[in-house]
Amino acid sequence: MGIELSGIRYAYDGRVVLDDVSLQVPAGRFGVILGRNGSGKSTLLRVAAGLLASERGTVRVGGASLVGMDGRSRAGRVGYLAQFHQPVFSFSVRDVVLTGRAASVVTVPGAEDVAAAEEALAALGIAELAARAYDELSGGERQLVMIARVLAQRPQVLLLDEPVSHLDLANQSRLLETLHGLTRQGITILAVLHDPNHAFLFADEIVFLDQGRIERSAAGARHADAEQVERLYGVPVVAMELEGVSVVLPRPPRKEPI
Amino acid sequence: MAGRKPTHAAFALAALIACVVGLLVGPQGSLTVGQSIDVLGQWLATGGADAGMAGEILFSVRMPRVVVGFIVGAALAMSGCALQAIARNPLVAPDIAGISSGAAFGAALALSTTWLPVQASAFAFGIVAALATYLLANRNGRLSTVALVLAGVVVGGMFTALLAILQAMSDPLALQSIVLWTLGNLHHAAWSGVTSLLPPVAISAVLLWRWRWRLNVLALGDDEAHSVGLDPRRHKPWVLAAAVLMASASVAVAGVIALVGLIVPHAVRRIAGADHRRLLPASALAGGAFLVSVDALARAAAPVELPIGIYTTLVGGPVLLALLRAGRLGQRED
Repeated sequence: MGIELSGIRYAYDGRVVLDDVSLQVPAGRFGVILGRNGSGKSTLLRVAAGLLASERGTVRVGGASLVGMDGRSRAGRVGYLAQFHQPVFSFSVRDVVLTGRAASVVTVPGAEDVAAAEEALAALGIAELAARAYDELSGGERQLVMIARVLAQRPQVLLLDEPVSHLDLANQSRLLETLHGLTRQGITILAVLHDPNHAFLFADEIVFLDQGRIERSAAGARHADAEQVERLYGVPVVAMELEGVSVVLPRPPRKEPI
Repeated sequence: MAGRKPTHAAFALAALIACVVGLLVGPQGSLTVGQSIDVLGQWLATGGADAGMAGEILFSVRMPRVVVGFIVGAALAMSGCALQAIARNPLVAPDIAGISSGAAFGAALALSTTWLPVQASAFAFGIVAALATYLLANRNGRLSTVALVLAGVVVGGMFTALLAILQAMSDPLALQSIVLWTLGNLHHAAWSGVTSLLPPVAISAVLLWRWRWRLNVLALGDDEAHSVGLDPRRHKPWVLAAAVLMASASVAVAGVIALVGLIVPHAVRRIAGADHRRLLPASALAGGAFLVSVDALARAAAPVELPIGIYTTLVGGPVLLALLRAGRLGQRED
């Protein structure tokens, strides 16, 4: 099932953060939101996840509105990864991932839930962390654990806020490949990414969020629109073609002769 | 926290040993440990026949005291454990959050009016205190350690002041018993105390036991719970109500016994891990064992029996300070 946001308006303390935002990611597609810091990307994802109630507009997943949907049904449709998670207690990694199964657990998780958690850990290549203390892991490892938690939930739509921000190059690449693979299985992904090139390499749909408003890519998902990226981020960039996909780099500063 | 952790059986054994010691150890000048063993052996050998005055001391004085002490210790520890999980803060406990002072005022108010039910009044004011602390410490849905402790101090102080007004209006005899009771006391524990403690503590314990895994989900954070289908705004108030009910029932019977609800879950978490499926029952057993042991010490150590709250504060205070200095309790200062 796909996700559709239409006419979303959200204001915080009188300041409009999102203004008439509409976007759609069809089932089995990888959508990416790009934008500068403070442009409202995380707020948009939180509204999409049902964590924030918008003043206006609707969020529909598989055609059904999230408003008024009970927690279990919502958790079966939408999984959400926060940008940052601060652990307080020293839970084991397995226990943290297992909490992703809350929607299907009545009192305590059963064998099926434990199997789902183990499977999610294995899918991300971190099965060996299962017995480790979550609060003693590195930032990148913790991020993978929280992604495993979302996978263990087995939702139809994944909403991921900067899933690769703390990861090294190998884990970034592995995770983006894994997420891309999930879309081929029919899972829909809407992610906030910081690196536009990740979007150009992996996304099926890209939307640019600028000061709470949506701008669409004119060039299509796999082709960097240098002008649009320059306008969005306010820095000069150069676009390059790499194996049929275009990427952007910040324009190098002119080197003055010494 | 990886590796093999002590099983519930180990905690249960520790609790059993503490209860047996609590039964055998009396105040100076009373039945010695040897005499107590003899009485117990004789009672067992005769199939529960009347054991005279010594049996009276053992079964009508010490045993209810051990049972009340165990239930109170277990209730305070479970309450602290649940409160820490929903507040995502290891520094929360019934006494730290002002709940015990609120419940103490409620119970004293009921005692002074004679028509108010003690347990209900203690629970109502315990809830009022918990909500007051939460509202004072809450900033945009976040509870910082410093704000929570300060709010708890303020709320607890206000209820203590209200209690002082009640005390000032009481006659001297009642005043003495109220003062001893507010310091936390098992001296007057009797089977009637067990009867009034059991229903509220059993109900809340069963509820928290049922929600033991849910506490893991809630302890990860509001957004994290909500996104997996558990609405914290709907579930946390029930956990809070159960935690306040068992804590206020304990206060109504035994007064304010400080720091048990804070230190026991914290210590057990370091031994048994953070998973509430293990932590909650282990805290209950350890809390009961701890309070019964401290009570036995309080009876045997000094020629004059002091309120048990004095000992738990003397033992718990330095432990709390050590934990604070080690940075184990103040990770979240946001």
